[in-house]
Amino acid sequence: MESFRQAFELLFPPDKELLQIIGVTLKMSFFSTLISCLIGLPLGSLIGSQSFRGKSFIKKLIHTLMGLPPVVAGLVVYSLFTHYGPLGRLNMLFTVRVMVVAQVMLITPVVIGLTSSFIESASKPVIETARGLGFSGLKTARLCIGEGRSSLFSVVLNAFGRSIAEVGAVSIVGGNIQWKTRVMTTAIMLETNKGKFSFAIALGIILLLIAFIVNALASFTVRENADG
Amino acid sequence: MVEIKSLKKCYGDRTVLDIPELVFENGTVTALAGANGSGKTTLLRILAGIIKKTEGSVKTPASVLYLPQQCYAFRGNLIKNITLSGADEKEASVLLRKLGLDNLASKKAKSLSGGELQRLALCRILSKKCELLLLDEPTSACDARGAQLVTEAINDYKEKYGCTVIMSTHSPALAVNSAQRLIVLGSGRIEADGAPSDILSSPESQWAKSFTSGWKI
Ligand SMILES: Nc1ncnc2c1ncn2[C@@H]1O[C@H](COP(=O)(O)OP(=O)(O)O)[C@@H](O)[C@H]1O
Ligand SMILES: [Mg+2]
Repeated sequence: MESFRQAFELLFPPDKELLQIIGVTLKMSFFSTLISCLIGLPLGSLIGSQSFRGKSFIKKLIHTLMGLPPVVAGLVVYSLFTHYGPLGRLNMLFTVRVMVVAQVMLITPVVIGLTSSFIESASKPVIETARGLGFSGLKTARLCIGEGRSSLFSVVLNAFGRSIAEVGAVSIVGGNIQWKTRVMTTAIMLETNKGKFSFAIALGIILLLIAFIVNALASFTVRENADG
Repeated sequence: MVEIKSLKKCYGDRTVLDIPELVFENGTVTALAGANGSGKTTLLRILAGIIKKTEGSVKTPASVLYLPQQCYAFRGNLIKNITLSGADEKEASVLLRKLGLDNLASKKAKSLSGGELQRLALCRILSKKCELLLLDEPTSACDARGAQLVTEAINDYKEKYGCTVIMSTHSPALAVNSAQRLIVLGSGRIEADGAPSDILSSPESQWAKSFTSGWKI
């Protein structure tokens, strides 16, 4: 109960630092989701719809990467961007950008894997029907996306959910710097470590709330455009 | 004309289709029969270019339409499901009336029953022109009345465009009422090839026997 009261106090009126943390969190999750979907949706569709040599190997690889521990992704990105690393000159370590890089590394395999298995199973009858009607490849692809948009949409939401909830990678490469790279999850970790459990839980409640609102808004827009 | 030469389709080391030679003349209607798993769908899919053959050569006309065995309902109502393939709404309504679906025209296609969906999928196919029409069990989900509407629609389409028709079926009625030729497949090979009435009345035809064996009145 104490946590709920604290969560309420943080939100009404909104705490300045909290707002900034939420802003960073949303910005990071938005770009991570956007970039991993821009890469993962087309690539996943391609893998799901084509048959080629080495496909089963690629699928195994993707499934392995889907289970990549976030701290490992964080370490890899850290060692790439650290001062003496190959990309050290970019001076990006401990920025939101590099947090996005680490998250894209984590989330893209998930988007590819989910998209390709969706396309493989659900799109088969659509493809057979469309090709039976003599439709072009482009029209067939458009139909597959149109027919499967709610599934593809849940892939996007899944990516967003992972991004907003992830803590291991972003704390390594972002450094949890106040007013700069601190996000909801790393803030929760910090408060927990300080022993302020109820405050940490308050932040957790707010994080859940954000995730819920984003999901609700997103599925509302989709339902608006669906059917017909 | 459709020409098939030494056609083989294998899955792993299993040969599911093996046809040394087969020709379908222009403007003919052929029914394909045979037990489940005899290779009817495989043959139609190869002719439609949906799957690749393992060996041999297949020649088909430029414009081919193919109705899959598993019919699919796209999002939207019945009219939209037909206009999506290029027809206008008026043509769509005419086709729906023809197949007894006009009272459902503005319903969602996803809500149709199996037999209704099958007729809708046929409407969608018949709204386009072609030289070769491939139908995979077009009456399998229909009741007697539905099957009759489907048969009439196929016959009228054939009259109108003079296309070649190849359709698989388990229905002797469809074979007799629409086709001049009946080919019976068994384990991927041609078991019989001739006039439907001849094959159906032939005492040694396994396919013909399979219909009478279960009857007891
Ligand atoms: N993708 C596939 N992989 C392996 N075997 C298949 C595949 N598709 C069809 N078959 C096999 O090919 C045979 C012929 O199938 P099919 O052409 O669908 O038969 P029919 O349409 O006459 O019932 C069946 O034994 C089936 O199990
Ligand atoms: Mg079949």
